[in-house]
Amino acid sequence: MIAATTLTELRHENLRPAIGARVLNPKAELLSGELGPAIRELLEERGVLVFKNIDFTDEEQVAFTKTLGEFAPERHGDGENISKITLDVKENPHSAEYLKGSLYWHIDGTMNDLPILASLLSCKVAAPRGTGNTGFCNTYAAWDALPEDRKAELKDLRAIHAVWPTVFYYEPEPSVAKLQGMRRVGENELPLVWKHRSGRSSLVLGCTTLSINGKTPFESAEIIHGLREWCTQEQFSYSHEWDEGDLVMWDNTGTMHRAESYDLSCGRMMHRTKLKGEEPFE
Amino acid sequence: MTTTTTRSQVKAEQIKPKIGTRILNSKAELLSGDLSDEINALLEERGVLVFPRIDFDDADQLEFTRLLGGVATEIRGETVFRVSLDEKVNDKVAEYLKGSLYWHIDGTMNAIPIRASMLSGKVLSPEGGDTDFANTATAYDDLDEATKAKIAGLRVVHSLWRSQFYHTPEPTMAQIEDWQSKGEAEIPLVCTHKSGRKSLVLGNTAHYVVGVDPKESYRILHGLREFATSEAYNYTHKWSVGDVVMWDNRTSLHRATPYDPASGRMMHRTILPGTEAWDN
Repeated sequence: MIAATTLTELRHENLRPAIGARVLNPKAELLSGELGPAIRELLEERGVLVFKNIDFTDEEQVAFTKTLGEFAPERHGDGENISKITLDVKENPHSAEYLKGSLYWHIDGTMNDLPILASLLSCKVAAPRGTGNTGFCNTYAAWDALPEDRKAELKDLRAIHAVWPTVFYYEPEPSVAKLQGMRRVGENELPLVWKHRSGRSSLVLGCTTLSINGKTPFESAEIIHGLREWCTQEQFSYSHEWDEGDLVMWDNTGTMHRAESYDLSCGRMMHRTKLKGEEPFE
Repeated sequence: MTTTTTRSQVKAEQIKPKIGTRILNSKAELLSGDLSDEINALLEERGVLVFPRIDFDDADQLEFTRLLGGVATEIRGETVFRVSLDEKVNDKVAEYLKGSLYWHIDGTMNAIPIRASMLSGKVLSPEGGDTDFANTATAYDDLDEATKAKIAGLRVVHSLWRSQFYHTPEPTMAQIEDWQSKGEAEIPLVCTHKSGRKSLVLGNTAHYVVGVDPKESYRILHGLREFATSEAYNYTHKWSVGDVVMWDNRTSLHRATPYDPASGRMMHRTILPGTEAWDN
């Protein structure tokens, strides 16, 4: 007699040529843990994975996250909980201010040497249709597509990242008290091009990038904003329109993301979990 | 027998101790030219002069400007510039004028900035559209001696391209290159006037202090902007149609408060030629 073993297979369809895949497996298969390695592989390849209307509870989201790698608490000592992401100050009095910077293209964790591997966002309350999408762009694909002579100019550059420059994106005339408060969050020098163990490279930039070492302020702006414009071209980017119950995860080591603008009082609410980083910027 | 000559006198009232004076003379008195020296002295001393509902037409405004020191031409050669954020009125210039919603000084990219500007309120917006002023000379005077010593001699790079990031934080390269072609200049942070007076040169074109770490540079420029625009040194002009306001461009930060570009708000501006370089 032959024992019938049914192996669960990862099923997906690509969203855009150079970014994004929609995973089609049902919740039970995702929670079984069998698909963990295949999902990880697809994540690195596609940058962004969409689980449409998967309707995870918080407990399921935490459990699913743990099938993919090591759960990263939001802050030290937070334990294995989801964190609520909203710009509404009533809901999130301490973090809403910092999250305003999330309306501009960025990578999470540029203040740390070991950034998180990935984030998973579940939509609990969506913003009105056409607002509050999350935009993603693939900084592996954007790097790969640069001309070789441009790559040669960029490959060894180093950049200063800090949280305080992000203030200027949404509040160009800040008080000094606010700048000093933001300055305490940190500053970090990072390579512009992240050379991964896999042999692939991705660009490290976003609204935390203050300057490029050894370049004039104007040359810095040309590099930082020129590359941001390059990476966010249509062929490398995907904008996710949320329905309640959607879960989207992205490879934080090879994408930039941003929230697209929405009415801050609309109640938009996301629940986030994160995977611990496995590879430092250098 | 004695001949009685009646020469008019300036009738003025102070708006705030450290900025602003209202001039209450009639249009005829202003256009006689008799008051010009006194008005020029008041302009330098008070920073901002308000002529409530004086109702100048363009010819009156040009004549009054001429009497105070001459009419400088605007960038496209006109003598009266129509200030509007409406693209139908101002085509491409409306884009640059968005920067005028943030504190700035005109002419920081020129070696010799204009001496003064004069605005006539023609059409107002139903909401917003005030003009805010801050006196960077009285603010400088009130800095403590340690700060004055620390900032003496510092030089600042000003550029148009940086100011455009205030309203367009994620521009395209085409925008950046267009903005950059409009100039960049290095000038002193503290301008010493021929009169011996000193004032701060700040605003949204002030990008960085030369030779200073970026964090410290931002702290200096934004700290001084925050101080100079604080209550004691600022004045908000809420417009009535027909008001004329003029300001000493070398010692005044100014900005428009946000308004609907489609509201039709329209100001007519004349400018007075510069008499002194930032670097003396």
